[in-house]
Amino acid sequence: MKAIMHIVEHDLRNFFRYKWWLVGLISMNLADLFIMAIVYNYMVSSAVIAQYDTYFKFFAPGLTVTGLFASAFMIGREINMERRREVHHYMLSLPMTRMELAIGRVLSGGIRGMIYMSPLLLTCFVFLGFPTVWELLVILIVLFLMALGISGLSIAIAVSTASLEKFITARGLVYYTLFFCSSVFYPLSLIQQLGAEGKFPAPLVILAEVNPLSSASDMIRSFLLPDLPAFSYTSILNVVVFSAIFILSAAFAYIKILER
Amino acid sequence: MVVERDIRLFFQYKFLIILRAIWFVSQIVLFGLIASRMINVREVPDYFRYYVSGLSIMTLYSAAIFIGFDIYEEAEHGVFEYLLSLPVSRRQLVLGRSIGGGLRSFIYVGPLIAASLFVIGAVNPLNFLVALFALFLFSFGVSGMSITIAVMIKSSDRFDILMGVLDALIVRLSTAMYPLAVVQAANPLYGGVANFNPVSYAADLFRWGTGIESTYFTLANPLLPLLGIIAFFAIFTFVGVTIYDRRIEGGGWQ
Repeated sequence: MKAIMHIVEHDLRNFFRYKWWLVGLISMNLADLFIMAIVYNYMVSSAVIAQYDTYFKFFAPGLTVTGLFASAFMIGREINMERRREVHHYMLSLPMTRMELAIGRVLSGGIRGMIYMSPLLLTCFVFLGFPTVWELLVILIVLFLMALGISGLSIAIAVSTASLEKFITARGLVYYTLFFCSSVFYPLSLIQQLGAEGKFPAPLVILAEVNPLSSASDMIRSFLLPDLPAFSYTSILNVVVFSAIFILSAAFAYIKILER
Repeated sequence: MVVERDIRLFFQYKFLIILRAIWFVSQIVLFGLIASRMINVREVPDYFRYYVSGLSIMTLYSAAIFIGFDIYEEAEHGVFEYLLSLPVSRRQLVLGRSIGGGLRSFIYVGPLIAASLFVIGAVNPLNFLVALFALFLFSFGVSGMSITIAVMIKSSDRFDILMGVLDALIVRLSTAMYPLAVVQAANPLYGGVANFNPVSYAADLFRWGTGIESTYFTLANPLLPLLGIIAFFAIFTFVGVTIYDRRIEGGGWQ
């Protein structure tokens, strides 16, 4: 456990070295919320307004989740760089087991995601209202599980790609597919409606339904916005399955690459 | 020679080019298609076509910005000193870089614009040529702006952050994603910025050139956005040349 904490501390220190980069990223996220979402309020259809009151209220939870996703993914970039510079030889010399090392990296990626996401979540609460203590606890646990899964996904990609360019391209593909095939920017019912009309491929509709970004965004909405479909346990199940798959994949892929 | 070198350099970033193409396609077939379902047809009758045309301008903008990152790459690898030793004047060098930056982004965005024209449909040939000329100037202006900022701040980290924030503000406070009337209704301050934004000028002229602008708004006088783009190009190309000329020597790159 102590070894894992050392790895987490090391990665957190690295994270705060990019403080200006983080400020820039947060301001970009806030520009999305306070410019794009506000303008969209005046364009979205009455059906969306009737359900969510304003697009701003609909989008704020989604933005929190995308912020979490982007920051938890950052750990992959560092691991990819370490792999290219062969820093893993040094990592192997540390007095800890391979599994401790791998778990430490996944855990720190998740914690970094949560730290970055917290001002966005707070902004969301300020404008949409505060949840009850139990709801807040559920939100934090589910988001943390998701952050671990994202961190695992990013590590799995980082150790499977030999160059930074390939990592960035793979990251872009994952980002755009998961962001746009989710209920972050638009209600899930719209994607399902397009799928039913045959205008959107069925596999992408299924992806949007099981996407952890959709599950987490809709879970926050169900707690903060009144008159919406009640909270569903399926959303937690989606996030748990996603996290379990990618935490394990990352741990095994990372151990394998360290020993190569 | 400078222009040719910059164009060759750009096409070495194969993965980056693929990434931008993925971004463009996913924005059209995923975001554009689904978001257009969410939009009130009385406010924006055919948001899909509106969005696709704005997306071409956003892509052109981000591709033209990239020249600034090349400058940091050269400073980091010591190529700057080599460039300074070439039998080319400083002015020729920076002018070549600005034109090269604009041209390569245009070459890159060309197929994407063709794809968006396929989606948008109708083209008014004469208007389209005028719009294309304006987009050329716009991409040269954006390259000049990127070079100017890069040589002024001389720090790749700060440049990266600043360009990200600038990109978020300049694109979102423009008519690339939504009509001016809607931006003004949302917030008069946003509307004011969008009204004097080169990205808005380029997006409006592109829509005018393709003949789809009448669906959303009437561009009373296309000369005004054209003059705006010419002013933007002139300021950043010539101011950029002067600043580049003064700041190029003396090191201090981070």
